[in-house]
Amino acid sequence: MPLRGIRTVTTARNGVGAFILPCKRLDFHYCDWAGSSRGMLAFLKHALPKFATENPQIEIRVSPRPHKHPIITGHYINGREKSICVRNLEPEQIFVKANLLKEASGEKLKRTKKPVTSINESVRGIWSPYHGGLKSV
Amino acid sequence: MFSRSALARAFALPLEQATRQSLTTTTFRACLHQASTPSNTSSEEPLSATPRAQFSTPTEQPTHPTPTANPPVTRADVPIAKQPLPPTFMTPLKVSKSLLDTLPLLSTQKPHYISAHLHDRPYLLTEGDHLRLPFLMPKVKPGDVLRFNRASILGSRDFTLKGAPYVDERLFECRVRVMGVDSEPLRVKEKTKRRRRHVQKITSKHRYTLLRVMEVKIKTVEELEKEGEVVVE
Repeated sequence: MPLRGIRTVTTARNGVGAFILPCKRLDFHYCDWAGSSRGMLAFLKHALPKFATENPQIEIRVSPRPHKHPIITGHYINGREKSICVRNLEPEQIFVKANLLKEASGEKLKRTKKPVTSINESVRGIWSPYHGGLKSV
Repeated sequence: MFSRSALARAFALPLEQATRQSLTTTTFRACLHQASTPSNTSSEEPLSATPRAQFSTPTEQPTHPTPTANPPVTRADVPIAKQPLPPTFMTPLKVSKSLLDTLPLLSTQKPHYISAHLHDRPYLLTEGDHLRLPFLMPKVKPGDVLRFNRASILGSRDFTLKGAPYVDERLFECRVRVMGVDSEPLRVKEKTKRRRRHVQKITSKHRYTLLRVMEVKIKTVEELEKEGEVVVE
């Protein structure tokens, strides 16, 4: 009789069956008056419609934020959000930032040493000194 | 070593279509990757049965006329162990009699683990694992499905199938889904020179591809027979 851990109920993991993009909403904030929003205004006028049609699964909100620098905020399915200030950036640079927010997982940035993280219990089981291959002293 | 092609994407279709019903009831956001391929709705069979049968017939691979033992040299600066393997589908899969006898023991005992190799680096994976590659994989988008086709070890609780050095890719299926791109916190490396009161700060911020293991499956003897394997002594 091998050792067995306590069985757990299976948890839903994004991507195993269905896949939902972690980024669920992008907020674009701009200012009509300030010069740091010039690139942002051009992006909103010319590039954003194409970006929105290419990513129908992301809700996109555009709203003014007077007398402030333009920012992009991404909201993620894990409840977190990420903001990037895009002051004085060109439309192409803003597109790169929007793509970054789109592909991000929403997690806090961490340095990890191990590539694989698993919540499954060990396939081969836990080694036990009392089972199998006993040796008499 | 991964095979991302139009074929590989097409193989992932039945899974996604199986989940379509549940998706439409809950949310509309996940429909992107199904929307682009509405033509293949006829494949109602399970995922394992449909796709791989065509690979083992020699006529399906006319573009690779001479499979050799040496990997094709694609880039000179990449070491030979990291070069991609050539496809071995010119001949049907050769299975020894003893493997055919013992394979049901392994394939029926779930769950399975796989030691999948990607750029000559092993990753010990089970189904549902989260894999953060130590590099940014080019030309993939979130939602893409990749198939790992190079494995050194397949195993379950009591049985292990070892490759020498790799298991034939027609014996198993390991699919992963691209979840997105992650970044690390900014690294700051302080550099100093002698007798100079100046500290240079070098910054770097690497990006990594996030993957999720969708399935790890070892094919049963019936499936191998369907694909036309050859039993050798």
